[in-house]
Amino acid sequence: MSGIRDSLGRVGYDLLSRALSECQGTRATGKLRVSGKPGGVFHLRDGCVVAVESPGAPGPEARLLRSGRISGEQWAELLRETGGTRWPEAGLIAHGYAGAAQLRVVCMMAMQDAAFAVVAGDVEACDPLDAAFEPYAPVVLGEAPGRLLQDAARKLAAVAALPQPVRPDRERPVPAPVPDEIREQLPLPQKELLAHADGRRTARDIAFATGLGAYTVTVGMARMLGEGLLELPEEPESAAPVTVRDLPTGALRQRPSGAPPAIDPTVFSALSSAVAAGQAPAPEPRPSSGPPPGASAPSLPRREPGANAPSLPRREPGASGITETLAPERTGASWKGFFRLRHRIWTPDSGT
Amino acid sequence: MNHEALAREMRGLREQVPGITDTAVAAADGMLIAADTADTIDPESLAAIAAAGLGIARRATAVTGRGAFRQTVTYGSQGLAAFYAVGDTALMIVLGDEGIDLERLHEQTRPALGRIGSILTDPDPLAGTPTAPDALVGAVTETATEGV
Repeated sequence: MSGIRDSLGRVGYDLLSRALSECQGTRATGKLRVSGKPGGVFHLRDGCVVAVESPGAPGPEARLLRSGRISGEQWAELLRETGGTRWPEAGLIAHGYAGAAQLRVVCMMAMQDAAFAVVAGDVEACDPLDAAFEPYAPVVLGEAPGRLLQDAARKLAAVAALPQPVRPDRERPVPAPVPDEIREQLPLPQKELLAHADGRRTARDIAFATGLGAYTVTVGMARMLGEGLLELPEEPESAAPVTVRDLPTGALRQRPSGAPPAIDPTVFSALSSAVAAGQAPAPEPRPSSGPPPGASAPSLPRREPGANAPSLPRREPGASGITETLAPERTGASWKGFFRLRHRIWTPDSGT
Repeated sequence: MNHEALAREMRGLREQVPGITDTAVAAADGMLIAADTADTIDPESLAAIAAAGLGIARRATAVTGRGAFRQTVTYGSQGLAAFYAVGDTALMIVLGDEGIDLERLHEQTRPALGRIGSILTDPDPLAGTPTAPDALVGAVTETATEGV
């Protein structure tokens, strides 16, 4: 607990606080980039914060998309309609995906959550204010920087006061062995958290995966650790081990200088063998030339492992799944088809 | 090749850059070498797709005269997949969620690519520290710094 309080990073927090209050004093407009981990960008208008972006907390877009309120396709369609804006607020309301008041709440919550993520992490430096004002999903009424930071620090202190505190971007817990009947009775948010805690994800990662706030997930994770529903593995590596294979040759061989570039021929032969292994559609049966129907398609000659090739085992043909879009052209077939088509289109009275 | 060192590099990268969800290293022909991926990802097909994608991207860079190839990044509404060449013989895949700081990712990945290149080509499995920059590392640096 004290570890968390100490690691609040008084120096970094003061740095940020000073930079922001300076902006407030001069009623500055622009963006203040905070470097660190996760760091972020504070967007200011007349000295008030109107938006905060941080890799440490899901923004309004991620919240809407990940919570399932709107699909990726619908979002792309909205962006197309509004032509260039990153935050299609009017479109969201017009299509009924969200109400104006809801969007205001989402933006405000995302801003406060991002400020929490910045303060809970390490603040290394604050760049001078950049006059470019291009806030992403700004709130209508800006927040005084002091209040925003105090709110973030209060949240951090609240997490630190829990019996088993966690940092949003540090601990990666796993589900504790809990009897199924207890697990069944858990409320939905806790079940969701359990499902996502796989020893690889931090609270921040789960926040992005679910569209919840980083603070919400951090508190939930800390509580569940305290209740014994989650646990921290003794060795973090054991929960999510990296699988490394033995190379048949012990190590990859370097390509001798002057040898042709490796990836293109290898990959193209791999691709074409993958394509040949799949069901490449034959354009039209041609009795005179080409493979008889049903026969396996001819694969390109494979490069034998020689001086230039790294001697590695071949992967399964077709593993890339690219079998239908990149079908190889059969000799002459496509051109023949083209002329046939042209012939069909052209008529003496068409004027061409 | 030092398995421990490779695993350390991959885990280190995931812990350093907020937003990285999975990483994998494969040979240039799509043969998987190492995977630090969640259960929902099939690293074998991911490696094959990355090899094919990198091959096409390299060609695209060459035929359009865009200088030395750097990396490809595929964006989705819920994150991205970045494919990096590790010299001529291997590649690295990094998957991230939509919060990932791309600038930071590239910044942190470039030095890691050099180290991973040395680990992959080091025939001594017990060698703990990467050897002096060799031809492969040189190729990685060139990939990372030149280009338009």
